[in-house]
Amino acid sequence: MSIAELADRVARENPGCRVSERYGNQLELKSPVRQWVTTLSQLKTAGFEHLSNLACVDWIDQDELELLANLWSHARRVHVTVKTRVPREAPAVPTVHALWPQAGVYEREIHEFFGVDFPGNPELEPMFLHNWKDLPPLRKDFDTREYSRRAYGFLEEEQE
Amino acid sequence: MSDMLSISREEILDGRWERILNFFRSRSLWMLYYCTGCGAIELPPSMTSRFDLERFGIGPMATPRQSDILLITGYISLKTLKRVVRTYEQMPEPKWVVGFGSCPINGGIYWDSYATVNHLEKYIPVDVSIAGCMPRPQAVIDGLQKLMRLIQRGEAVGYKKYQLNNQWYKTNQREVLERTEPVLAPASSARAEKRARRAEAAGALVGEPAGGAS
Repeated sequence: MSIAELADRVARENPGCRVSERYGNQLELKSPVRQWVTTLSQLKTAGFEHLSNLACVDWIDQDELELLANLWSHARRVHVTVKTRVPREAPAVPTVHALWPQAGVYEREIHEFFGVDFPGNPELEPMFLHNWKDLPPLRKDFDTREYSRRAYGFLEEEQE
Repeated sequence: MSDMLSISREEILDGRWERILNFFRSRSLWMLYYCTGCGAIELPPSMTSRFDLERFGIGPMATPRQSDILLITGYISLKTLKRVVRTYEQMPEPKWVVGFGSCPINGGIYWDSYATVNHLEKYIPVDVSIAGCMPRPQAVIDGLQKLMRLIQRGEAVGYKKYQLNNQWYKTNQREVLERTEPVLAPASSARAEKRARRAEAAGALVGEPAGGAS
């Protein structure tokens, strides 16, 4: 099956998603957030059984957070990136840790660093940060330099 | 045996015995290296046959309770700081700390990170800092020889500073480790501010052509 045929099939099986081809053996799916779990489970049954990673991007100008899941099919040797967008205000994405257990850890990390809630994930406790009280640190409106200056201080002559 | 080791009260009081102890201390140093960052990679070449730290009587040690020097080889994150302080307090006196590379001095290239502690000497006393990113084995040996000279002259007194100013060090440690308040402004107000700025910018864009035309 060629990549164009595969793209057609994926688009047919996931109504509501936009499918586009990238570079030879990569597909990109843009899914609405309410279809996030069904799209991923559909792709898993279609042969994309390996979840490489789950990541988050803060698009502050559009006031949205984007979640990405990278899937890989060993049989077809095709890579699929599934994207979904949620508003930055109180973002919530349903968990997929039932499909891939390792997704739970990625969700825990995204929860800690971007403040995205994953309803259904049983453990969303902090994993990396120590006693964190501020904005999630990988959000674009978090000023890491100002935080470092106030929290740990640096000498006057080192200031820019 | 008792004759050999007996010393008089006068000798203790005028510090002669301390000077003898310092002479021997400076020539038998066991170091514990807390490999927080990339600095650890310069230690194997310093210790192995080419540069051979052993010829100065400096060797590696496995546990904090048996070592004399604590080497902090790299950046200190908030989570590591907790462990570093615990390790330092476990070490028996006399003990010395060597800050290795630029990160323990001022944060190095991670100086504006939210997770990296910038000045190690605010939390535990540092006797010798070896600058460089990373310091080469020659610099490491130079720094450790400087520490040996300081110990022999009785000037490496970091552990005494830690006793005397314990309150200050503990306050600094607690300030970063047991934070109860957010450091920056609360999230909602920062976001509202940003939205107001953006609305203002959009308003300026809309208003500009009209202003230009009139």
